[in-house]
Amino acid sequence: MQTLIDSRMTMPDFIAALFDKLDLAGVAAMTKLPSGEKAAYTLLTDKDDIEDCVPYFPAMPANAARAVSKFTRQAPPSKQVAVFLRPCELRALTELVKIKQAAVDNLLIIGFDCAGVFPFSKIRLSDELKLKEYREAVAKGKNCEGIRPVCSACTRFVPEGADIAISFIGRNLDEPLVLSFPSEKGKEAAKTLGLDSSSKVEASPAVDSLAEERGGAEKKLTEKIEEALSGTDGLISVFDKCISCHACSHVCPICYCKNCYFESQTFEYFPESYFTRMREKGALRLPVDRVLFHLGRLSHMGLSCVACGMCEDACPVNIPVSQIFKTAGAKAQALFGYIPGKNRDEPLPLLTFSERELEEFED
Amino acid sequence: MADQKTEKIIVAFLCNWCTFTAADLAGTSRLKYAPNIRIVKVMCSSRVDPVFILKPLLDGADGVLIGGCAPGDCHYSKGTFYARRKIALAKTLAGSMGLDPRRIRLSWIPASEGPRFARVVNEFTKQIEALGDNPAKREVYI
Repeated sequence: MQTLIDSRMTMPDFIAALFDKLDLAGVAAMTKLPSGEKAAYTLLTDKDDIEDCVPYFPAMPANAARAVSKFTRQAPPSKQVAVFLRPCELRALTELVKIKQAAVDNLLIIGFDCAGVFPFSKIRLSDELKLKEYREAVAKGKNCEGIRPVCSACTRFVPEGADIAISFIGRNLDEPLVLSFPSEKGKEAAKTLGLDSSSKVEASPAVDSLAEERGGAEKKLTEKIEEALSGTDGLISVFDKCISCHACSHVCPICYCKNCYFESQTFEYFPESYFTRMREKGALRLPVDRVLFHLGRLSHMGLSCVACGMCEDACPVNIPVSQIFKTAGAKAQALFGYIPGKNRDEPLPLLTFSERELEEFED
Repeated sequence: MADQKTEKIIVAFLCNWCTFTAADLAGTSRLKYAPNIRIVKVMCSSRVDPVFILKPLLDGADGVLIGGCAPGDCHYSKGTFYARRKIALAKTLAGSMGLDPRRIRLSWIPASEGPRFARVVNEFTKQIEALGDNPAKREVYI
């Protein structure tokens, strides 16, 4: 358990202090859009713009790890950038670092406890009632009604691997921030910000009560998905609605391939192939390989799935994609004892092995 | 749907150095084995991506056999260890996505063991016959 300290700064003060005391190229966080209805993940370089920053706004228009990947993939920024990330975004970033799609050099990672986000279409900045309910749920350490299904079953809602972590569950959002500094980089920033001798704060019991509620919800979700996916009939009926738009893969923070295998020429068959298959079956639903896309994508990124819920948010036909990937991904991860997003130095499961293992799978 | 009389089809990915050579040996030794397998030669069993296994299963193949060099005897020294991880992943995913993992088999068959190859093919064919037709075989909406 990290030492929590009272920063005596509210969120706007904290962001201002980052600009004033640390030599930053910018701050990346959720920021209000001019329409006043929605927010987007934005890289701000001007301190005057920070009043529009809303890091806590419970929406995820895109997994921010993708945004961070954009400005760090080819080369790390020349000057430090402070990035606000939700725990699942931070986990996705860790996975992206492993596949060389992002770098964390010169990033000051500010993580915060996450009480979940609403589906993007369901939340507006002007939705005061909903936001009030959300604040109350945060303070009590309870799940708020209406957040993404995977969020309400997420047990990893405390940031792992941040430089500065904001303790948020069980607290009032307008109060001064309660911070901890898990990394060396964070401890240095604390010194520069003058926070190294601040008074200590107790951990909130709401964190445990939320963990318990989430654990129960996770178990229920797993059971529900396992039941839905029992047998080939289940598999077909779950993905029956899929229109093959591949939006789930386009928004996935882990799916980084510029040329997706499932959109490649491999799946452009000669006409005879269709007629041969049709002769065998008597009919053929088009386009083919619809279910294969999901199973194949699962086999490509399931081991790194951080269960952020972007895929399900983007699905135009409401397939519970992220619930399926969270459930099936967790089983595959357990096979190798792998926890995605936990440790930047841990190799990906398919890129390592031990000589004596998995003997039940061979003969 | 499970028609026991239809010929079961097993797609077999065999590594160039061991199991494919063993299949060759079984042939030149005139060993008789079940005619259900359709062989795809790969340079190494670790080349077999889980998608290679999932696709035939969704397209209606009744079983998928992967054959490679025994761990430690791999032509590329480490290939079989990676292969084992990939096949374990494919089986686990198949199991959690409503496909029967018993339709996937990974066997290490060295180049000199033609009889063992014939035995594995016969054994696996019997096992697949006991499972019956792959329900995906006649599935139009997959």
